[in-house]
Amino acid sequence: MPSLYEFANPVRFERWARPAIPWLVGATTLLLVAGLYYALFNSPADYQQGDSVRIMYVHVPAAWMALFCYSLIAVSSAVGFIWKHPLADVAAKETAPIGAAFTFLALFTGSIWGKPMWGAWWAWDARLTSVLILFFLYLGYMAIWRTFEDKTRAARLAAILAMVGFVNIPIIKFSVDWWNSLHQPASVFRAGGPTIHSSMLPPLFLMAGAYMTFFAAALLQSMRNELMARRLARIDSGEKKTAASLVES
Amino acid sequence: MKKKTRRFYLAAGIFIFAAGAVALTLNALKGSITYFYLPSDLAALEEKPTTAIRLGGLVETGSLAYGETEEDGKPHVAFAVTDGDTRINVAYVGLLPDLFREGQGVIVQGRFTPDGDHLNADTVLAKHDENYMPKEVADALKESGRWQETGGKAGTGSAPQN
Amino acid sequence: MRAVQAIIARDLRLAFRAGGGAPQAVAFFAVIGVLFALAVGPDLSLISKIAAPVIWTGALLATQISLDQIYRADREDGSLDVIIATSDELMVTAAAKAVAHWLSTGLPLIIATPVLAILLNLDRDAYVPLLLSLLIGTPGLSLIGSFAAALAVALPRASLLISIIVSPLYIPILIFGAGAAAAGAAGDPQYGANLSLLGAATLFAAAFAPIASAAALRSNQD
Repeated sequence: MPSLYEFANPVRFERWARPAIPWLVGATTLLLVAGLYYALFNSPADYQQGDSVRIMYVHVPAAWMALFCYSLIAVSSAVGFIWKHPLADVAAKETAPIGAAFTFLALFTGSIWGKPMWGAWWAWDARLTSVLILFFLYLGYMAIWRTFEDKTRAARLAAILAMVGFVNIPIIKFSVDWWNSLHQPASVFRAGGPTIHSSMLPPLFLMAGAYMTFFAAALLQSMRNELMARRLARIDSGEKKTAASLVES
Repeated sequence: MKKKTRRFYLAAGIFIFAAGAVALTLNALKGSITYFYLPSDLAALEEKPTTAIRLGGLVETGSLAYGETEEDGKPHVAFAVTDGDTRINVAYVGLLPDLFREGQGVIVQGRFTPDGDHLNADTVLAKHDENYMPKEVADALKESGRWQETGGKAGTGSAPQN
Repeated sequence: MRAVQAIIARDLRLAFRAGGGAPQAVAFFAVIGVLFALAVGPDLSLISKIAAPVIWTGALLATQISLDQIYRADREDGSLDVIIATSDELMVTAAAKAVAHWLSTGLPLIIATPVLAILLNLDRDAYVPLLLSLLIGTPGLSLIGSFAAALAVALPRASLLISIIVSPLYIPILIFGAGAAAAGAAGDPQYGANLSLLGAATLFAAAFAPIASAAALRSNQD
């Protein structure tokens, strides 16, 4: 039984990540096809919202992923910061663009859902504002990685920002309970069970599963790319040093 | 100062600041920052605010009335927003969102007429609650008498525990 | 304690000497207000309505542009390494830097506010809530800002990165600050709640920004 730490070793990572990716892509395809079939054809219209409720199946899982990805960044950052584990830093770094994309998707689909239902593309209520802040936090996090050339330093600084920004996650989650907002309260992850009728849950969870497997596949692939790029950079700088020493001697 | 004492003072200082922050937050949540006013909140004020405000509540059943339609196709609408205790009349020119209907939670933005008689809305937003179900289920629930008018909680922030 | 006083005194001297950051921030603040007034034109009632939000936004932006000066002089003359190496508690030093920044930027902005408020035709009832909200909120801006400055301390041109990092962290302070100013002027019962949340944000920053700053400064050492 290999320990978790061994999974995190870069060489071993490559050994299990590469074969895992095709399976994840396959699972994503299956879940997405099934999820969209259920979402568009095999689930009832809402008693109030009619067919517009189907936007929920794209919007809600995207919002879950937005929060999940940021939490993952914060946890990996803490692991990378405290135990100086290189793979944790790479995982945090590569999660950020995917999480930002999910956040954007949630904001975008929320907007096109809000227009017909609420009557507005956007409202400055607590939930919408705090998710927008989350999006900016993702951008700030990515900006640090892009700005600093020294990867070790970038990792530590980005990790600090990720941990500071984690304050926002509970604020997003509970914003609809603390403030009486335009956005409706939680329907699935709430005390007392879901308030979504059981016939509407399959497409929701299928889509959430599809997003999750897509995220895993995209993360593993981009982590592999990043590890490869770092190895190349090391080889490259090593060759330059050798060449320089040859010229000197 | 010895390192140990110094650390103690530091930890104490951080704790005091953090505790103060938590206390202030709880204090603020007790007063509840609101995105919108309820009709009763406005009734409690001595005079109606002159600035633009947001008013939240339910569209009173039987209050919705359509007036003439303007040249650009925008209808004149009048309805009342209620929270069960107080009602406030609203006038609006424009298209209403799909979810707008009597008994539905809404948030309207606008300002009061100078005499405080009614609110001239420039935006009407429909609020929906956390319940999603097919129409047949909603009908069945209503028939069996197990229907709970959840829209009625639009004003209380829909937080069931409060 | 003496080290803290020395850091604050040194930063204040640097900020107020010729070419220092403090007068620049106040000038920038005034320019924003004047430009807004000119852009709105002769509609006095509209200007007076947006005066408090404009002043809050101006104070935020003026603070933001002065952030990269917090550690700049220390980095340029090499004293930053000495400060980091000799500080008993780096987070106390970081807190002192934030205090110095507030004394040299936040406080002058608050002092300049009544003048700008006259130019923007602010209602008489709105002065006290606006000044009170600035007094509670701007220390939070300095604390959070000094954390962003510490993150970017190694960069030669740090302002852009600092702005990107600090903007999302500043949004709550702007919302509650401007909200308190507006609610206080209108006699709205939410005044207290907004002020409480503003104070909570500042206290929260006071508790954790120095820790984060110290971690960032250490991480930035070569």
